[in-house]
Amino acid sequence: MKRLAAIAALAAIATATACGTTETADTAGTGGIYTTIDGSKQIDATAPINPFNPQGSTFVGYDAMALAWPKNNLTDPNQFYPGIARSWTTTPDQGEVVVHLQPNARWSDGRPVTSEDIRTSIGLAYTQGGSAYTVNAGAAGAAADIQILDDKTIKVTQGANHSNVFLRNVLSTVVVPAHVYGSLLPAGFWTTLEAARGTGPAADKAKAAITGLAQKVITFAPREDVSAGPFVLERINPGAALLKKNPHFYDAARIVPDKVKVLNYTGNEQIWNYLVSGKLDSAPFTAVPAAVMAKIKEAPGNEIRKGYSPVAVSMAFNQARKPYDNVHVRRALAYLIDRNQVTKIASPEAGTPAVTTTGIHGSSAKAWLGDGLAALDPYKVDPAKAEQELRAAGMVKKDGVWAMPDGKPWKVRINVPASFSDWVAAAKSITSQLNDHGIEASVITSADYVLYLDELAAGKIDIGFWLMALGPSPYNIYQRLYGSANGWSLLAGQLRHSPPGKDGNWMGGPETIGGLNPGELTNRLNLASPAEQKRIVGTLARLTNQQLPVVQIYDYVNTQFVNTTRYNGWPPAGDESLRLPAGVWMQLGMIRKK
Amino acid sequence: MTVTAILPGGGGQGSRRASLRRNFWRGVGRVLRRKPSRILGVAIVALFAAMALVGPMLYPAHLPRDDNALYAAPSLAHPFGTDFEGTDVLALVVTGARYVILTGLVTAVITVALGTVLGLLAGFHRGRWDTVLMRITDLQLTIPGLPLLLVLSTVWKFQGPLEMGLVLGLLGWGGIARAVRSQTLSLRERGFIEAARGLGLSTTHIIGRELLPSMAPYIAMNMLIAVTGAIYAQVGLFFLGVLPFDSNNWGVMLNLAVFGGGALTSAAALPYLLAPLLAILLLTLGIVLIVDAMDEIFNPRLREE
Repeated sequence: MKRLAAIAALAAIATATACGTTETADTAGTGGIYTTIDGSKQIDATAPINPFNPQGSTFVGYDAMALAWPKNNLTDPNQFYPGIARSWTTTPDQGEVVVHLQPNARWSDGRPVTSEDIRTSIGLAYTQGGSAYTVNAGAAGAAADIQILDDKTIKVTQGANHSNVFLRNVLSTVVVPAHVYGSLLPAGFWTTLEAARGTGPAADKAKAAITGLAQKVITFAPREDVSAGPFVLERINPGAALLKKNPHFYDAARIVPDKVKVLNYTGNEQIWNYLVSGKLDSAPFTAVPAAVMAKIKEAPGNEIRKGYSPVAVSMAFNQARKPYDNVHVRRALAYLIDRNQVTKIASPEAGTPAVTTTGIHGSSAKAWLGDGLAALDPYKVDPAKAEQELRAAGMVKKDGVWAMPDGKPWKVRINVPASFSDWVAAAKSITSQLNDHGIEASVITSADYVLYLDELAAGKIDIGFWLMALGPSPYNIYQRLYGSANGWSLLAGQLRHSPPGKDGNWMGGPETIGGLNPGELTNRLNLASPAEQKRIVGTLARLTNQQLPVVQIYDYVNTQFVNTTRYNGWPPAGDESLRLPAGVWMQLGMIRKK
Repeated sequence: MTVTAILPGGGGQGSRRASLRRNFWRGVGRVLRRKPSRILGVAIVALFAAMALVGPMLYPAHLPRDDNALYAAPSLAHPFGTDFEGTDVLALVVTGARYVILTGLVTAVITVALGTVLGLLAGFHRGRWDTVLMRITDLQLTIPGLPLLLVLSTVWKFQGPLEMGLVLGLLGWGGIARAVRSQTLSLRERGFIEAARGLGLSTTHIIGRELLPSMAPYIAMNMLIAVTGAIYAQVGLFFLGVLPFDSNNWGVMLNLAVFGGGALTSAAALPYLLAPLLAILLLTLGIVLIVDAMDEIFNPRLREE
């Protein structure tokens, strides 16, 4: 495996060099070649040129276009930059979304982008399931009707079970040309879709027919790239993908680079080396050790752009296991963890220590909670309080080591996936701190993230690291704590709670706490007005702070890299476009040749 | 062919054995002194053996950390610097030696024991025994070790060196079994075995007292080489991150230095990377130098030269 990795790395270097030597600035024209990486995936040169394929040879923001691009807002998930959609309107309850396409939008083969393309794209999205395009009857936020109003206008109507992220989900639709992908939808597809929205055997059969198309759509391999974005794929090899400017792009005048080279990588170390050598004009968020960051900053032209990243990392408890079913134990652990030290060790460049545990990223917590944030327990390091809490839980201390109430040894095992080096370092730091306070703690690693999630879902883990605060939608934020991982799931529009150990409920928290049902409150966030959302978020933040289903450790910082040697006009620090690919920055007219 | 058969007898059986032992160790001493590198090899292996035996006793159970000296450069206080938590890297290497060496030894013992027994039985009995045992050996040899270990690691956490050594040993005996069988096939046709058979000695006696001592040097050398193989295998698996985390494991140190500290990109974590590498290199060197000495100790022709 190591040998394969080495071969792949050598191949990557060789091919990257090849791309670099054959595409000089002269052959690329005055706009030059913009070099970057795709942070969402590694290049698989054999993958089809198909955005529905997770490994597909298309690149979001460059040759893969969405209707619109979400802004990185602290609290509002429904703010966007235009994409293929020039504008949109929605009813206050988001029951209807009317999308107006860019009047000059054309595919790279010269054909116009029409409402029929959007309808076909939506049909294909149904085969993949999820978000607005699901065939599950009664699912919140599912589209119920797609209507072409004219060649450049399309209306999407939400089903009876509303969600206030419907607009976001509709505008996130990836757009593909009907004249290339249309044949994937069989005749009568829309009638079958209508039938699938019902219940009973006929509906089940129709659902199976729709979802049965998923593989066919994913594996579909067009002969060439037909893009509505600013670039179109010219060629791809295992080391890099080369995209050339799409002359038919609706705003081609704004696009400065003549070509974009997307370099491949097999691990973060390669990205660090690209950055240290000043090779990349920009790179999305990459975890970087402090010493490597210093070297990156030394390279001529390299600059760092930091912004809000609605992701935090926490230490989550399996409350079905003793002694973590006892809130006093969870609080004691929170009082013993020095989050500043953990962050300094694990993620000094891309993390800030959590102010406290709210369930929300620190940057947006202030916006959601206002003064209420100060009223929450900050869980500062306090061994005395921890001791009180442990005694309240009935834990006993023998020879300076804490044990279970019955005197049996208490071994805290913190699980992390081995491939997440910052989590491994954080978990080690936490165990060292707990050991200092007489709690026997150790780190257990899982070979990879998928296996780790499987082990979590199977309830095999006492304590594990968990991504949370996935904003900006408040529903998405709290769904990480009071969603399927903690027993609550939506079935046919009805919220139900599964007991610990069933249906992926590994957190094992109680269904109600002091008369409050956190899962129900979270679900209401889907439908609530902004004012009501704020009230619910306040309640859930207090509940989370008191009950600690997780201990929030650090909030991620979106650390991006740009190089001012060849281009400028980069989004400033904290800009709402910072989490979008550089292709979108180009669409917004930001990137200029130096 | 056994040593007891060719050496002249002394007074009683006991004194003859004592004399043999004395002669043997004198010979060992002579062979070691002949090349200083061999003394160095013994010293290195003795050092690592001492590290494995008493290393963890030299430090507290939880190694001290300096929160303000993360990835500190080498100094008198920290000859190999500190790790991501401010823990002395030398302390990590010393306390980590026990796991690595114990795994290596367990692997070597299992590899050699299984390989020797099966090889001797197959070679001596031939016929059905040989067919069955060698087919099992072939089957074992076709099992790709690394992929199997990667798969196993998803269901088995390999909590200790004994478990790790057991698995590596069970995956590594095939080569030795084949080699021992070949040697046995050759030796069983020799006169002293024919004579033993003619005297009506039992199979156990012939295998245990006549054949096995003749192959002892070969087996001993294989055992030492198996230790190095096991060290590479386990450190490699820890480096890939497929085995459970243990901060003072040499493979984990390499992993964290490269992927967490960026040791291949910046110099800050380089001592953290080099310390376990140096330990592996030294230990391997020590074993190779001892194998060189053993070759001469057990090979009379080389000794005469």
